[in-house]
Formats: sequence, structure tokens, C-alpha cells
Amino acid sequence: METLAVNYKRKMNIGWLFTMAWRDSRKNRSRLFLFISAIVFGIAALVAIYAFKYNVQNDINGQAATLIGADLSISGNKPVDASLTKLLDSLGDERSQERSFASMAFFPKSKGTRLIQVRALQGNFPYYGALETTPEQAGTTFKKGQMALVDKTLMLQFNAHVGDSIKIGNSLFLINGILNRAPGQSGVVAGIAPVVYIPMQYLEQTGLLKIGSRVNYSFYYKYNKPVNMDRLTKKIDPMLDKAGMRYETIEGRKESTGRNFGDLSRFLSLVGFVALLLGCVGVASAVHIYVREKITSIAIMRCLGVKASEAFLIYLIQIVGIGLIGSVTGAALGTAIQHLLPVLFKDFLPFTISVQISWMAIGQGILLGIIISILFALLPLISVRNISPLNTLRLSFNEAGLSRDPLRWLVYALIILFIVAFTFLQLDSWLGSLFFTLGILIAFMILAAVAWLLMRAMRLLINGSWSYLWRQGFANLYRPNNQTLILMVSIGLSTMFICILFFIQSILIGQVKLSSSGNQSNMILFDIQNSQKDAVAALTRKQGLPVLQQVPIVTLRIEQIRGKTAADLQKDSTIKIPHGVFAYEYRVTFRDSLSDSEKLTDGTWIGKAEPGKDVPVSVEENLAKRASLKIGDKLVFNVQGLQMPAYVASIRKVNWGKVQTNFQVVFPTGVLEDAPQFQVLLTHVSSNKVSAAFQQAIVHSFPNVSVIDLGLILSVVDELLSKISYVIRFMSAFSIITGIVVLIASVRISKYQRIQESVLLRTLGASRKQIFTITALEYLFLGSLSALTGILIAFAGSWLLAKYSFEIPYTVSYLPAVILFFIISILTVIIGLLNSRGVLNKPPLEILRTNA
Amino acid sequence: MHQFKITFLLFAVVALAACGQKKKPADNQTPAAAVVATADSSSQKTIVFFGNSLTAGYGLDDPSNSFPGVIKNKIDSLKLPYKVVNAGLSGETTAGGNGRIGWLLKQKIDVFLLELGANDGLRGIPVDGTSKNLQSIIDKVKAKYPDAKIVLLGMMVPPNMGADYSNKFKAVFPALASKNKVSLVPFLLKDVAGVPALNQADGIHPSVQGAKIAAQNVWVVLKDLL
Repeated sequence: METLAVNYKRKMNIGWLFTMAWRDSRKNRSRLFLFISAIVFGIAALVAIYAFKYNVQNDINGQAATLIGADLSISGNKPVDASLTKLLDSLGDERSQERSFASMAFFPKSKGTRLIQVRALQGNFPYYGALETTPEQAGTTFKKGQMALVDKTLMLQFNAHVGDSIKIGNSLFLINGILNRAPGQSGVVAGIAPVVYIPMQYLEQTGLLKIGSRVNYSFYYKYNKPVNMDRLTKKIDPMLDKAGMRYETIEGRKESTGRNFGDLSRFLSLVGFVALLLGCVGVASAVHIYVREKITSIAIMRCLGVKASEAFLIYLIQIVGIGLIGSVTGAALGTAIQHLLPVLFKDFLPFTISVQISWMAIGQGILLGIIISILFALLPLISVRNISPLNTLRLSFNEAGLSRDPLRWLVYALIILFIVAFTFLQLDSWLGSLFFTLGILIAFMILAAVAWLLMRAMRLLINGSWSYLWRQGFANLYRPNNQTLILMVSIGLSTMFICILFFIQSILIGQVKLSSSGNQSNMILFDIQNSQKDAVAALTRKQGLPVLQQVPIVTLRIEQIRGKTAADLQKDSTIKIPHGVFAYEYRVTFRDSLSDSEKLTDGTWIGKAEPGKDVPVSVEENLAKRASLKIGDKLVFNVQGLQMPAYVASIRKVNWGKVQTNFQVVFPTGVLEDAPQFQVLLTHVSSNKVSAAFQQAIVHSFPNVSVIDLGLILSVVDELLSKISYVIRFMSAFSIITGIVVLIASVRISKYQRIQESVLLRTLGASRKQIFTITALEYLFLGSLSALTGILIAFAGSWLLAKYSFEIPYTVSYLPAVILFFIISILTVIIGLLNSRGVLNKPPLEILRTNA
Repeated sequence: MHQFKITFLLFAVVALAACGQKKKPADNQTPAAAVVATADSSSQKTIVFFGNSLTAGYGLDDPSNSFPGVIKNKIDSLKLPYKVVNAGLSGETTAGGNGRIGWLLKQKIDVFLLELGANDGLRGIPVDGTSKNLQSIIDKVKAKYPDAKIVLLGMMVPPNMGADYSNKFKAVFPALASKNKVSLVPFLLKDVAGVPALNQADGIHPSVQGAKIAAQNVWVVLKDLL
């Protein structure tokens, strides 16, 4: 008999390859659908998260612009000369000017006088946000006449109404509106003196601008097209600096406003990265299992004469098709979610999230879906190349020489490269991408190692004395065709992401402190004399306001450090103490305990000084660093004439991020009580009305006490911060939910793994209950072990993130971790049981026929 | 974080309201001498400059360039038997000064120069209060050292505060001086205020040159008392 020689030299027929790919997919469409759905969920998660991310980032940036109300502001306290005018007129597409200065305003109706901050405005500033006024249109109409916008608290304080007048300098202005909120206000100046806006054309006639007047000149610019602000400001800075002027950009204000912006963008990067990996987990686990199942078909085709390269290409084509369909559907689903969610939850969301189609997110989603599909399909497919047809048919295929193939390593490298590249798109930093990828790689290896150990341990542990069901359940973990590795990795990674997101978001939310919330202070009273302190506190309480803090402040200087004085410093250049340490006027306090914003880093806290001995003081960390102070170092303070020997008893870390008084040096009680001092009192006022009434009372009884009302300034910042914290919460909740969906999908695709064994067992007479127990045991073990591993990795991961990426103190929340552990373990078992439900409920033969 | 800025600004304001920002130390000539001075006061007489950042020499690299420093140099070069104590404190208001004066009166005072009120003016504190506090300081000094010669240094607020307030404020000092029969320097910053070249970048604290002129303004009155 002649052997039928296969012509391996024949030309490849591309059309036929496509036909074969199509034909193969027809065999079991429901199974195919299951795999595609995993891809769809992965990509949908990614696209929706990305789209939200890009949108909220834009929203927050837009909101941040209201902090200064323009793209660029320039200010100084001198009139500008001709050459600078030329420069100032050349900037921006739209320009506004403002002169601001302190003055005394007079309310003719109530005959009241008060320090105010006049802001004379020309142009359409603010370009972002608005002068929020009552009535609403007053914010723009006041510029049309001799009219003014008056701060709300000020109006209340003098019982003034819209339509009354206010005298500024020599001119009377009609009060056109109440100013509720204004962009671009900053600092305490606006707090100490309430703002009154007037049109600049009426400034001259007030007669307030004369020689010797202290006026601040501000220029606001709007750019219609995006400009490189960094380059621009770098260019104009030398000229501005020479003229004694400062500039401010939105970015700059964001930085000085606080770390929350940075936290948010870092968090969004993290979310982006997690989404990317969720997408990978979804796609990769689906493709991996799918292709592995196809090995038998490939082997048969090979036996029938299909070339290895042809078989390879047939399935590659199929995978690309599946990946494409899954990714496009996923992208569509993700976009739909992104559009539907805000509409659905409209009534619950405190802010509107803009919903723009993000082509960037869609593009990345589809690209990622296809590439990941191909890369993960390649892993099993390349091994098909080298293996003889018969070999592929053998069950031992899985173990056979997989690691030797150099191409395999190439694919691994490609996958890593790809993840680094996509991470870069999210993080915008190669170093960060590298570290993140490395972190994932380590997490992956830990999970793989745990899976491997588990299999080893099971093989050793299981023995005949166990009950049959337990033996079967656990043996499934290491037998050929086991799903231990793949499930461990996908469940473990998903759990880890969910956990990390949860931990980090709760740490971040803890950092966002709103002035309006609870007992954050938003009003500061200072220059309270010692003789007034009790009366002021009593008055505060009488008005129903909390005394959040009341501290004495003593001004002093450092005379000697370790026996060296400022004079020694000039003579001896080897003394490494900056001159400023001696030159600075320290405002210190004395008390017997640490405040809640302080933490000892070294030494011991001593709350009471012993008479006649050196005074034990506590020094703030940064001062200690600057002056290179160590515990026990001798100091001599000059307390307004009195030399006071002291020593460094402790070094404190101070959280400066709170509206409260913090100090570089804290004295113990028992020494400074009689020294000249004044008191500062912090309180929280809940509304303009309360603030006005309180200020009224203070001014009446204690005219020397100055009140800083930060309410107006903080409300602008507050709105922004609450939006940030809301965004963080929303994004993490959404990502966690999608993470769980992806997790479910990736467990779900293991549906067909166990079908043949279960059917076989049933045919041999196993009861439903027995199969049920075997499956439950396997999934319970897999689910709980991988969830536990994932959570442990998440603890380490979030610690690293908190410390190195966010640079905030790490706090652990154990309870959510425990809850998550149970949720994921139980979820895995439930899905595992659902997977085998078909086997349990239907006759074995029926299942064999439909799924074979 | 915004709070950080506010904390920081609180300090700035406390200092600024004091009419200073953070002042540099006035070296050893500062009130450091207060206690020490009692010892050797037998041989030397003591001049105390009691004031705010203008006295303390806020913002000057070398606090001996402040106007009390300039006067001290003058006294030293004339070999007059006086010891100069700079008791300037940035941010000091008249209320603060009134609270602090007891601490200073522990030492013998022969000539007392009172330079306070600028911070009250910049904060728009009602002038009655300022006047009352200054009166109380004068009373306390007189009560303890009836023989001490007192010089009141007059101050003005920038025109942007409005004519009503500035006029009332300006009038406080001559009125007090005549009422208490003490010497008066009509305006400490005469020929200095409002001249950019004579002031620091903040536009309110005199530069080295400005302090020299201020010292001259004071010296015209002070020299007759020594």
C-alpha cells in the first residue's frame, strides 16, 4: 500500500485558513460565547474606567481653574512701568486688571465702619467660575455703574441690603449684589478683610490712590488655545522678578492648594493601571483556557496533514477574531456603562460627571484586547509547532517540554513589554511603569509559587485514609488538566487589585479634610490679650460656637545653640547652623501635652518644667534638621530680654496640614506663663449669619481682637476637595465592582474544565451530592487560598504605594479585608457550583453529546 | 494642602499685622538686655525703644541697621552714657504692647520711646482703642518711673485706608502727647513712607537708607532729652 505523502511544500492557502478558523468556531458557539463574554467584561471594565478617568480628570482640572479664575495671573505691589506694560499687554487672548487694597468702608445706613478689601475690577475676570452673587446677574452688571458687590458676611454684619449704599473713600457705591463666592481669592488677607468689588473706572474718584497707598496690582489672562504655561512663565519670570511681581498658574495653585490634586491624579493612575490589568486578567484567562482546549483539535488536524504553521495560523486567526469581537463589544459595553451610570444615579450623585465619549479609552481598550488575546494565545500555540501530532494527542502534553522553547520566552518578554508600554500610557513615567510592572510580576510569581506549593503539598498530603470525596476534591488541584495555576492567578490578582484600591482609597479619603465638616476650624481670632482670654472664650461659647483651640503665643528668639551665638557664626564658618535660625522670631506656645497633630519622633516629652533647672523643650523635626539639633543639645532662648537656658528634650513631627496652630518649639508649662504673650482662638462657624453675629459681638467687646474668617476661601476649596474625595470613592467603587465582574467571568470560564470528569463520575454511579462536594471542595480551597494570598499581597502592595507613591502614612483596615476574603471565597464556590450545575441536573449522556 | 497654607499665612498675618513680617533679631541690643541691664544700670542710663517691626528692624539683614540701631551708633559715637535697648516686636499692636509693658518695666528706664499703633491702623482697629492702650502704656511707665522721659513716635496709615480713618488715626498721637506732656516725633516715617527706594519690597518696612532717615526724624527730638 502506498503511503499517502503529504506535500508539506504546498503553498499556504490564506482563504482556506480563514474558512477553517470559521468552521472550527461553529462547533460550539455557546462555549465560544462564554469565552468572548470574559473578554467583553475585561475590556468593558477597562474602557469604562478609562473613560471615567479621563472625564473626571477634565472635570477636576476645570474646577481647579476656578481657584484662580484665569489661566495666568500676575501681581505686584508697585505700579507697572512702560516696558513691563508692553509685556503685560502682549500676554493672553483676554485680559483683565484688578487693583486691590485695604480700606475702611462706611455703611451710611447703619453708621458702621469696618476694614474691607477693595477689589477694583476691569475686564471679564473671572474667566473660570463666576462671581457668585445674589441676585445672580449682579456679578456682571455691577461693572456698568457706580455699584459694588459686598461680601455676604459683611452685609449681615451691618444689616445692609441690596440697594443700600456703601462709602469707599470719597465715593458712595450702590450695593448691587451680595458676594457669596469668588474665584481667585486666596490667603488670609481676604479673610481678615471682607471683599468688596467695585468697577475700576470708579476707583480714581474714591481718592484712595495717592502716594504712599499700598495697592496690589493684578493682571489676569485667559488663553483661548492651550499654551505651554511652563515655558511661558519661565520666559517672563526674570522680567517679572525684576519688577517685583509674581505670577500664578492653575497648576501652581493646585500644587499650593494641597496634596489632594496630586493624590487624585496618582490614584487615577493607579485605577488606570488596575483597569489595565483587570482587562488583561479577563482576556488572558479566557484565551488561555480556550486555546488549551483546542489542542486536541489541532492534534487531529495535524494528523490529517495540516502543517504546524497552518494550524498555528488557523487558531491565531480565530483568536484575533474572538479578540476583536470581544474587544469591540467590550468597548461598546464600557462606553454604554459610562453613559448610563451617571444618568441612572443622577439623583444620588452630588456632582455631575461629564460623559464624553473617550476615543482614547475605546482605542486603548480594543488595541489591548486584541494584543493580549494574541499574546496569551501564542503561549500554548507556539508549543504546537514543535510537537509531533501524536504527542499532542497525549494527555501528558501539558507537562511536555514547555519551558525549553526560546520563542516562549520571547512571548513572555513581549507580554511584559506590552504591559510596561500600556502602563506608561496611564502613569506617564517609565520608572513608575517599570516598578508597577515589576510589582505585578512579583505578585504573579508569588501566586504561581503558592499554586505550585499547593499542588506539591496536596500530592504529598493526600492518602488513603481520607474520605473519597476529600481525596477527589483535593486531588483535582494537582491532577493533569488542573486549573489551579490559572484560577489562583486570576482570582488572586483580582482580589489583590480590589483590596489595594479599597485600602488606598480609604487612606486617601482620610486625608481629605473639609473645613465644613465637623470640627475643622474656619475662623481664627488672634491678638487676644491675656486679660481678655477668658472673656473671649466665654463670649465664643455664649454664641454657641466651639472653642476648638485656644493657645498662648510667646515670641522669642534663639540666642545660643550649643553655646554658639549668631556672632560666633560670623566668625567661625565651620559652624553648620544657618544664620536664619538665629534671625528668626519664633512664635512658641507652652502646654503639658502633645496635640493631636504632633507625634514624637525622638526623646521624651516633658510637660512640666522644674523650677531652677534648664527648660526641656520640644523641637519640630524640620527645625531640628536645619539647626542640626539633637536630643540633649543646650539652647538659650531670649524671651524678650530674659535669657532662658533650655535643652532639647524631644523632637516632634508636626502635621501642618490642618487649620490649627502649630509650633516649631513647644515649651513645657511652668516657665512662660508670665512672659508677654497673646492668645489665638480657633473656632468653627457654620454660616455667614453666625459669623457676622459673632464678629459683631467680638468687635463690640474686644475691638483689638482681629478675626480671620476663612469661610469664604475655604468654601471654594471645600467644594473642590469634596469633589475630589467623591471622585476617588466613585472610581474605586466602580473599579471594585468591575473587578468582581471580571473575577466572576474568569472563574466562569472554567466551566468546561471539570465537565468530563464529572460526567464520568456520574456514569460510574456517583451521586449528585458527591460531585457537588468534590466541586465545592476544589473551588473553596482555590478561592480561599488565592483570596488570602491576594489580600496579603495587597497589604504589602498598598503599604508600598502609600509610602513611596502617595507618601502618606499607611493605615490598615482589617475588617474590610476579612469581609472581602469571605466574599471572594464564597463567590468562587458559588460560581464553581453554578458551573457544574448542568452536570448535576441533566443526564450524563445529554451533556456528553452537547459538550463533547 | 490648603490648610497648610492657611497655617502658614496665619503666622504671616500675625507677624504682618504687627506691621512686620518675620523680623530679624535685633542681635544683642534687643530686649535681651532687659534683665542684664538692671545690674549695670547704676553707671549707665537706659533708653528703651518700645515698638513693633519698625523698631525691631524687620526684614533688615543686620538688625543694627534699624532706626534704634542707627541711634545707638550715634549715641556711642557721641560717647553719651546711655545704653540702648531695642524692645521691638514684629506684629505688636497697642493692645499687645499694653500687655507686655510690665515685663519690660522690670528694668530701670530713663528714656522711653513709644512706637506703637501702626499695626492697629493697618488692621483698621477703632482709633479710640489705640488711643486708650497708648495712654495706658504711658501711665504704667509713669507710675513705675516717674522721672523717665517719654517720647511718643507719631504714625500715619497709608492713604488707601480712607481720609476719615487716616485723619482720626493721625490725630491720636499729638493729642496724647499734649495731654501727657510728653515729647512727640510727629511722624516717624516722614520722607520715608511711600518712597519705594527707601522701603523694602513689601513697600512698608524701611530699607537701610529709610531707617537712617527715620532715625534722623527721631534724633531731632531725642537729642534734647539726653
